[in-house]
Order: sequence, then C-alpha cells, then structure tokens
Amino acid sequence: MTIASQSPREALLTAPAADTTPAPDRTPPPKRRTTLTRNRWGYAYVAPFFLVFGAFSLYPFLYTAWVSLHRTSLSDIDGGTWVGLENYRNLLQSEFFWNAARNTLTIGVLATVPQLCMALGLAHLLNYKLRGRTFFRTVMLMPYATSIAAATLVFAQLFGRDYGLINTLLEAVGLERIDWEAGTWSSQAAIALIVTWRWTGYNALIYLAAMQSIPGELYEAAEIDGASRWKQFLHVTIPSLRPTILFTVVVSTIGAVQLFGEPLLFAGNGTTSGGSSGQYQTLGLLMYQQGWSNFHIGQAATTAWAMFMIILVVVGLNAVIGRLRSRADR
Amino acid sequence: MATLALPGTETTAVTPVDRPERRGGKGSRSGKAGPVTYTLLTLTALVSIFPLYWTVVAGSHTNAELAGSPPPFLPSASLFDNFKLALEQAPIGKAILNSIIVAGSITVGTVLFCTLAGFAFAKLQFRGKGLLLALVIGTMMVPTQLSVIPLFMMIADLQWVNQLQAVILPTLVSAFGVFFMRQFLISALPNELLEAGRVDGASTFRIFWSIVVPVARPAMAVLAMLTFLTAWNEFFWPIIALTTANPTVQVALAGLGSGYVPQQSVIMAGTLLGTLPVLIVFTILGKQIVGGIMQGAVKG
Amino acid sequence: MATVSFQQASRIYPKADRPAVDALDLDIADGEFLVLVGPSGCGKSTSLRMLAGLEEVDSGSVLIGDRDVTDSPPKQRDIAMVFQNYALYPHMTVGENMGFALKLAGVKKTEIAGRVAEAAKILDLSDYLDRRPKALSGGQRQRVAMGRAIVRSPQVFLMDEPLSNLDAKLRVQTRTQISALQRRLGTTTVYVTHDQVEAMTMGDRVAVLKDGVLQQVDTPGALYDRPANVFVAGFIGSPAMNLVTGDAVDGGVRIAGAVLPVPRAQLTRAAASNGKVTVGFRPEALHLVGRGEGVPVEVNVVEQLGADAYLYTTLAGGDDDVMHTSDVVVRTEPRSAPAAGQQLWLDVREGDLHVFDAATQQRVS
Repeated sequence: MTIASQSPREALLTAPAADTTPAPDRTPPPKRRTTLTRNRWGYAYVAPFFLVFGAFSLYPFLYTAWVSLHRTSLSDIDGGTWVGLENYRNLLQSEFFWNAARNTLTIGVLATVPQLCMALGLAHLLNYKLRGRTFFRTVMLMPYATSIAAATLVFAQLFGRDYGLINTLLEAVGLERIDWEAGTWSSQAAIALIVTWRWTGYNALIYLAAMQSIPGELYEAAEIDGASRWKQFLHVTIPSLRPTILFTVVVSTIGAVQLFGEPLLFAGNGTTSGGSSGQYQTLGLLMYQQGWSNFHIGQAATTAWAMFMIILVVVGLNAVIGRLRSRADR
Repeated sequence: MATLALPGTETTAVTPVDRPERRGGKGSRSGKAGPVTYTLLTLTALVSIFPLYWTVVAGSHTNAELAGSPPPFLPSASLFDNFKLALEQAPIGKAILNSIIVAGSITVGTVLFCTLAGFAFAKLQFRGKGLLLALVIGTMMVPTQLSVIPLFMMIADLQWVNQLQAVILPTLVSAFGVFFMRQFLISALPNELLEAGRVDGASTFRIFWSIVVPVARPAMAVLAMLTFLTAWNEFFWPIIALTTANPTVQVALAGLGSGYVPQQSVIMAGTLLGTLPVLIVFTILGKQIVGGIMQGAVKG
Repeated sequence: MATVSFQQASRIYPKADRPAVDALDLDIADGEFLVLVGPSGCGKSTSLRMLAGLEEVDSGSVLIGDRDVTDSPPKQRDIAMVFQNYALYPHMTVGENMGFALKLAGVKKTEIAGRVAEAAKILDLSDYLDRRPKALSGGQRQRVAMGRAIVRSPQVFLMDEPLSNLDAKLRVQTRTQISALQRRLGTTTVYVTHDQVEAMTMGDRVAVLKDGVLQQVDTPGALYDRPANVFVAGFIGSPAMNLVTGDAVDGGVRIAGAVLPVPRAQLTRAAASNGKVTVGFRPEALHLVGRGEGVPVEVNVVEQLGADAYLYTTLAGGDDDVMHTSDVVVRTEPRSAPAAGQQLWLDVREGDLHVFDAATQQRVS
C-alpha cells in the first residue's frame, strides 16, 4: 500500500535549499513513520506459506543435495558416509541410468508431441460456435480428473495380453495379439497413450482460453488481406499462441521427466524395474527403485538431482528459443 | 449462408468467407461449427469417456467373458458382487474416507495460505518481495522427487509413516496457488478499495477479511476445486509415506493393482469405486472447473 | 469540522528526480471548500493522499485542526474520502457500504441504520439501500460514494476527481449538487480535479499546482483577474488567455509591429532580466479598432456559439523578431462577427492587460 523509503527525507534535508525560503528549523525526530510499519504486514501474510514451504519444500530440496553426496541406506537414514561426487560418477556410469534416461526421453516425446498437436487442433474445433459447448469441454476434461492410478489400471486392462479389449479387437479383425507390456516400443507407446489421454483435454482448454483472448479484429484484418482460414490459423492463431505453447511445452516436459505412476502400475504387479528388461523404466521409477527397493537413498538423491538438471536444461532451452524467436519477430 | 454446409470448410483452406458477422463478436473468432467439427469432437468425447465406461464393463465381467468374441459392451449386475470383492481385497472404504480427510485438509490449507500470500504479493510492498516471488515461481519447476527423501527421513523421525498428517502437511501449500491468487488479485482488487478500507478505519486484518476475501472468493473457489482434485489424485508421495494399512484411494488402488488378484473385474470394480467420488464431484462442478482452468490459463 | 494546514509538506517518491509535492504551504479554513487543480502529474492527488494518510509525508507536516497528523494512520484522522472510481465494496449493499466505517468504529446498529437512512434521504438513495453497487448506474454509484463519506460526519471531506467517471451532462448536475451539499453540511472539503471549470465553479478558493509546486491559491475571481504567473494565467479560463511575448520598447511592448501600452513602472520591472515582456489578455478583453490602430491579426476560423463568437486568429505582419505564440483568440458579438481570412486590428481594454516578466514568468502588474 505504501512504498518504503526513509532516504528521501534525509536527501531533502541535506539538499541545498534552492530559491524557496529555507525550511523551518524543525529537526525531524529520528522515529520511524508509522506508515512504514505497514511493510511488515507483508511478511505476516506470506509467513504461513513460507513456513510450510520452507519446511517441506525448500529444506528437503537442499537436503537432497546433501544426501546425494553420501552413501546412505534407507535402514540407517541418519547415518551415511561422505563420498563426495562418487554417487554422481556411479550414476553416469550406470547403464540403468542411461536406459531410464533414454526411456524417459522416448516416452516423453511420444507423450508430449502428439498430445500438444492434438490439443491445439481440438482447441481450434472447440473455438467454433458450438451446440453443447459446455458438454464437450467438460467431457474432454474427465480424463484429467481421473487419477494416474485409476487410468493406468484401466489402460493396463485394455492393453492386457490375454483379456485385454485391444487384443480381442485385433484378433477379431484377423491380426495377431500383441504382448504390449513385453515389447519396448509397444509398452512405451501404451504408456505415452495413457499420458496423452489424461492431458490432451486439459491442454486443449488452455489453448482455447488463449485463442479466445486473441482480438477478433486480427482475424478480420487477415480476412480483408485475403488470408484463408488455414493461413489465418498459421499466421494469426499460432503466433498469438506462442507464449502459451511454450508454457505448455515446459509444463508437459516437467511432467514427462517425472513420469512415475504409469510405468509403476502398468505391468500390474507393482515391480519397480519397469518391465522385465527395464524396457519402460523411467528416471522417476528408477529413483524410487534405488531408494525404496534397493534402499540406496544416496543414489536415489543423485538421480533426483539429475532429473532436476534435465528440467533446468529443458526450461533454459525453451527460454532461449522463446527469446530468439521473439527477437526475430522484431 | 450456403457456404456453411460445405463439410471441411472449417479446417481446410477454402475461399475467404464473405460474411463478416461470422467473425469478431466478443473478440473471439467463432465461426459456426460444421458436421466435420461435430464428428471430430464427438469422437474425441467418446475416446475421453470410453476408458471410464470400460471400467464399468470390465468390472462386471470375468476374464473369460472379457476375452470372448465379441467382447461384452454392456455392464452386468455382477458389478455389485465385484464391488463387494474389491472392498474385501483392499480397504477402499477406509481409503475414500482418508482421501476425503487428506484432500479436504489440503484444500482448506492451500486456499487459506495461498490467498494470504497471493494478496501480499499482489498488493503489499515489502523488502525482498521480488526475490520471494521468484523463489515461489522457481519451485514450480522442481520435481517432487527432489524433496521426498528428506521428507521421508523427517516423517520417519517423527514416527509419522502411515499417518495422514505425513501426506497432508507437505502438500499444505502450493506455489501454483500463490501465483494464481496473485494474478487474480492484481487485476480484481483495485488499490482504491484497500485505501477506502483504511480511510474507513479498518485494521490490516479487517481489510483482509472484509474486503480482500470477498473479492477473492471466485478465485478461491476455483483454486479449491483444482487443489481438491490434485490432492485426491496425488500419487507419488502418498505411495512412499503410506502403506495399504492406512491408504488414500490412490495407494489402495496401487495395492489392488499390484497385489495378486485373479480376476481383472475386481481390480476394475475397485478402480471404479475409488474414482467415483471425483467423477461425481466433477459432473456437478465440471462447468466451474473448466471455467477455472481456462481463467487460470489466461491469467497465468 | 476543522481547519487543515500543510506546512512545508513534501513527498518524494523513491527513485524520482523531483518531489511529487514540493514544500507545500497551504492553510484551509474551517468549513471551506478548497479545490486543488492542475494538469496531470502536478501533485494534486498526492497532496490529497498525504492529507488522507495514504501517502507518506517525507518532510514538513500536515495538521487537521490543531492536531499534527503527519504520522497518523488514516483512521485516526477523522476524514472521509471519495475516490475517483468510487471504490465501493462490491460485495456489500449500498447500506452496508455506507455504514461500514461506523460499524468498524463500533457504533450501535440502530444508530448506524438511522444515519445511513438519513444520508440516503439527502442523496436520494433510499430505494437502493439493499442493492449491490453493480446494480447501480454511474451517477448512483457516485452518490453512494458521497453517502459513505457524509454518513461519518468527519472533520474533513477529501474528494479525488469524484466526477471524472460521469458523462458531461451528469457531471454539471452533480457539480452543483456537491457544492450545495457542502454548503449545507459546512464540512471542510478538499477537492481535487484537473478540470479548471470544475475548480472555478465549486471552490471557495482554488489552489493551482504545477510540477509539485503550489503556484497560487485564491478565490476563483482573483485567480481569473490577477493570475500570479504565466502558468496560472494560461491554465485558468476557457478559452485560455492569450499570452504573447515581445520586446519592451518606449511606452509598451511591441507586438506584430504595434505597441501595446504598458505603465512605465511595470515595464521596467518586467523587462529587467532580458528586455522581453510577456503580456496576457483574455479573449473578452479585446475589441476591434480601426485599420492600422492596434495589433494586426488575420482570422483563421470563426466559432459561432450563439451567445458569443470566437475568432481564432494569427498575428499578422510579424516583422519583428518576437518570440511569441502567434495565435490570438478574440471574443466578439456573434451577429457582427468578421469572416475567416479577414484582417483585423485589435486593442486591449483599459486595465485588462496582464504583464509578466518573460524570464521569471511572474506577474509584475
């Protein structure tokens, strides 16, 4: 409500009196203005948030870094020996890490790219004058309301080898049954599909909101310039949506790097190895396996930091791309 | 008007339409949807619903029936027997109760704390505000994985493993919530309103309670719905902090899915039971949730 | 009710290169209606907010009655404020809006209801007490904002451009209503506006500010007749006073070849710094004279207003190196107004010439 500043008072007093009569000899008492105390209210309002936030987010976040420099076991969490960067060295030499990183990347791409493209198309469709607008929007958000666990269990059923609907249908049209879970590509595609199913509608709504905030005059101007609908979509809609697209890419990427529940539950037996040969082991799952199956807390912390680094790189790249593109526009 | 009926005009390149009133309106380009649009949207809607519907079908048929040709496409009355079986196999009743407690507490805490902090970030001046806000926004990028290890140590020390407070407390605030409330209040709460309150003689707390909260109420409602949904569906941390002895719905479902259950139908029936509460809430409040997400998207 | 006084009050925003309000000295009498006027950024709103306690006072002090309120929070100042956008609480009814301050002060419910009803009656809002602000017209909202102020019977009313969100017709109507209300209640009022017409019609006295510095404070008539400097001369009055700068010559100031007579003493003082003199004359102070007798101008546009006509003219025969604004506005009889393109000769009516030092811009006459 007010801006803190004590210095101007001093500045004014020390400044030479120009042409006006010299200020009356009223030496200001060195008290704080009561209005200044208002500043402290800001801290009072953010305090509850930062107390919880500090204790359960910030402190753990930093402490994880500390743990990652130790050999710590789950059975002796307060103990642990200092090993410096050994965990990081081990991680970079571990084939499990590279396998999980590769899988996270492929599943991430499979889950994100088609999803966002479809969401964009869907948003475009939803932006027409529609009967049952609310119905369509609500229905498309239903998957978002479904939990990871529930969605994965249903899709695991659908993709099941022996009793799954998809294989039943494949057989009905004369194709062979597929052991979805056993294959590398098939399992990864299936998991990507679960993610896509849950998030496409959500992202479509985000895009739709952004589309609706594009001023109609832009389209009218483009139409007067003779641009077709498709050209309008390419040259008006997409550029206006660029910040939103960048935003969803970042959010989806962060989600993809953390992918955990789907691969954990996909096999239906709760193993943390991500398939018999780790064919859909992700970084999130690997971290859980290291910590809570193999009890190597230090290793798990290292993997968690590696995930964070990957996110930072991706977000950084996005920021750079965003900046370059907007500079190119000028 | 005649051009309207042409299928495909909406999405493909066609000659410019000569009807200016199709555009503009309330600042949005809203041509009327043609049959192609409706077909595509209906298909998407079906794909969105089908897995949920299939839960009902698969929950009421045995493995053999599901593998039959043609497979069943309608639910049957044995769904209720399978509900009973699922409830015996996994503590779903307790899980739902736990989830209501957990998601409810998290929602109340998040909305309260985030409104307080969001207001301060939107309207109050204090030293270090920019830095603190950057900190809040920055942590939206930090994966959950980075905090679970010390958190687990903490709750182990506190003997909170398998206790509900272990999943409530760490999730009691959300960086997104603070940002969301801040963005809303920046535009929805004019400074003059706060000044009018001060001139009228309201204390800082009174201003918050009598002026800020009423103005923030729509955003608080949206945040509450989104937070409840997220908290209900939270998976990673609960599965670490809780066991099937005292689970939330997601933990119970994970247990159900990874235990040895001979009949798929029981898993599906359990999944349905665990998902039903949110789906009911979603059916009632769907419109508001949709509005909230879209509103958040524009403000964010 | 009380007097208000600013004593060398200054407000300096952090990182600003000059004070928003610079050593303001202003005494407002008990029951007076004082208007602060000036172009945007002149510090008028800041001054008002310093009085309200919404803005810090970096040096100097602010007094209400005999009390130094420089460091008091708003609620201890016994003031009420009407905001430009009214700042009505959107979730409260009209009645609740008006009674909120009393409720906070712990006044009994029955008394609040009585005082709200009374204020509503004065402002013709009795039928709207249960409505929300959203359901009111702009004019009604404005009255609710007024009502919120008068319900409290404060020592001072503060009004920050309360009419600027109304349409032109309603603004004129409400202007007189506010004046009448203030006279009736007799409450000391400080009123901020950027509109000099509003200032002139409403204020007992008007304070003109520019760049955070008080230029002049006086009654509307005195401001109009004896502006203290070139800025006030140009700011007050519509159409604005004609201000022309020329060389001081024997007996007067040379404008467009002609010499406007200026008394010797004034001329000497005005030309003291650089030999130039700025003279000002209002459109209605000009009259037409015979060919070659006065200042020659050429008519560009004639504006017929019915009761008057205004001639927008340019100084003709600019043979001298005068630095002047060459536009001159003249009021004439509408029936006999000259046509555009015509050349005219003008003279200033006796005693209606304002003389300023061209260097200091200060009045010398």
